[in-house]
Amino acid sequence: MSNEMDRRDFLSRSWKVGAGLIGVAGLWTTADLLWPRVDAAAGEVRTVAADAVPADGVIEVSAAKAYLTRDAAGEIVAINEKCPHLGCRVPFCESSGEFECPCHGSVFNRLGEFREGPTPRGMDRFLVTVVDGMVIVDTGNTISGPGKGDPESIDEPPAGPSCSEGSGHA
Amino acid sequence: MSRRERPSPQIVDGKRVLGIVPGTPAVGDRKVPASDDLVMTSPHLLVRHAVAAIFVLLIVLALALFFDAPLKDIADPTNTPNPEKAPWYFAALQELLALFHPQVAGVLVPTAILIGLVALPYIDRSPRMGSGTRKVAVTTFTVFLVLWIILTIIGFAFRGPNWDWVWPWEEWHGEL
Amino acid sequence: MDRIRSSTIGRSLFRSPDRATERDRAAGHWANFFLHIYPVKVRREELTFRYSAFLGVASLVLFGSLVVSGIYLMFFYVPSPASAYGDINTIQNDVAFGQYIRNVHRWSAHLMVLTVAAHMARVFYRGAYKSPREFNWVIGVVLLALTLLMSFTGYLLPWDQLAFWAVTVGTSMADFVPFVGDATRTVLLGGGDVGSATLLRFYVLHVAVLPTAITLVVTIHLWRWRKDSMLEQGGDQ
Repeated sequence: MSNEMDRRDFLSRSWKVGAGLIGVAGLWTTADLLWPRVDAAAGEVRTVAADAVPADGVIEVSAAKAYLTRDAAGEIVAINEKCPHLGCRVPFCESSGEFECPCHGSVFNRLGEFREGPTPRGMDRFLVTVVDGMVIVDTGNTISGPGKGDPESIDEPPAGPSCSEGSGHA
Repeated sequence: MSRRERPSPQIVDGKRVLGIVPGTPAVGDRKVPASDDLVMTSPHLLVRHAVAAIFVLLIVLALALFFDAPLKDIADPTNTPNPEKAPWYFAALQELLALFHPQVAGVLVPTAILIGLVALPYIDRSPRMGSGTRKVAVTTFTVFLVLWIILTIIGFAFRGPNWDWVWPWEEWHGEL
Repeated sequence: MDRIRSSTIGRSLFRSPDRATERDRAAGHWANFFLHIYPVKVRREELTFRYSAFLGVASLVLFGSLVVSGIYLMFFYVPSPASAYGDINTIQNDVAFGQYIRNVHRWSAHLMVLTVAAHMARVFYRGAYKSPREFNWVIGVVLLALTLLMSFTGYLLPWDQLAFWAVTVGTSMADFVPFVGDATRTVLLGGGDVGSATLLRFYVLHVAVLPTAITLVVTIHLWRWRKDSMLEQGGDQ
């Protein structure tokens, strides 16, 4: 009697396990299929001569979607254009010498360090190497930006008026 | 009289009762409306639905006549427009994102709203229907609804470049 | 009409020729495929504007309008960054009634988000989500989410500045979801940034996956509405 029940039990369980396996296989296949192929754009980008990187401003290298500038010690820094908040491209405001995000009003200093706004951290950076006097930006290698509470490593208060018209924002 | 004592074969309404099954009716113990509350769907409800459908279609067809769908410049990944606005139904979310950490505004709040809505009928188990008799549920829902509408209007019409405050009658930045 | 219904062809179409008594009309109702989503009888209060403001019907009508206008647009649109924007321009300037159809599609979409949300609010204030209709409320919440997804995926397709950046911002939110956020975003975008893969994926979601899902879920929603239409809820009315 108990043997008969076991067989019934076994069969009833096996079809459920079978259905489950097919389901898992289906999900797996779908995920694998939809997973994008390796992004060809990510990688090392030869940009400009190291001498061309300014210490008091930034230059944009659109091929790497990055800004190049120099930190307090004179080292070259590559800053990811994308706002760490929600991915908007952050333009550099020449008049104030700050990065000002148009989407939610986050503001960063020349090194992408946090000044104000809702962003969770400073602007992300890319790994930089200098080979034969050329700056190579490794866009496949992102370094999380400096934390929100970290002190700024350069002392450059806003040089002039902000680029946004409405300056009444506190 | 109890079911057991019922005399067998009995003529009721010209039909013979063959047996009585104890238990609850198949629909459960829910009340079924008395038949004089009911009206035929066709035509009473159908006519009203047809009128509603025509009314809605007329609104759409008229709006489409007078207001063109917007089309800006071609997408340019190197240039973020300022201000950058989400579609109006996400304006409240975008407004929250400007106020709080994205993990709170972009993840916690939407998830909480969705779970709250799904769980609502399982939390509010009281059988009372009229909105005057269930003050807690109605008040909570209304507060959230009004807040959401206010945030939507602020995000949609009261935000300008760099997400700074603007007055919609002075500068208009809403996009539909 | 009655003459047509009682002809040989009319009988084969409608099955029941007479519409004199309630029984006739019920028979005609049962024999009609399009009426089978309706119960034969409804409670009298359901006829009033106060009851539902007909917001559910409005949502369904708008969905229909979106399907029709969307199919028109599909004839003239190729989902690739090279052609999408130009196709919209062609639709607006060269296709007969193209601009008008696009307007209808856009306005129907905006209004559908409104009516679905308003429908939910009306159902809430009527207390209609209570037992035995809890699950139909849950299905309704799913439909609200699907409607928003539908709108959002459609928003990218014109491939203009409005579309590109709204989707960039919208999908960046996923980054902050713990554990699965990054993977979800990568699969959705088909890469790290909004690009040609994203456009194609959003298009497929917009014209195939989501409409099918909405149709299925709406069917369940309406089926349960019909099944539950005779059940009384709550204590006091």
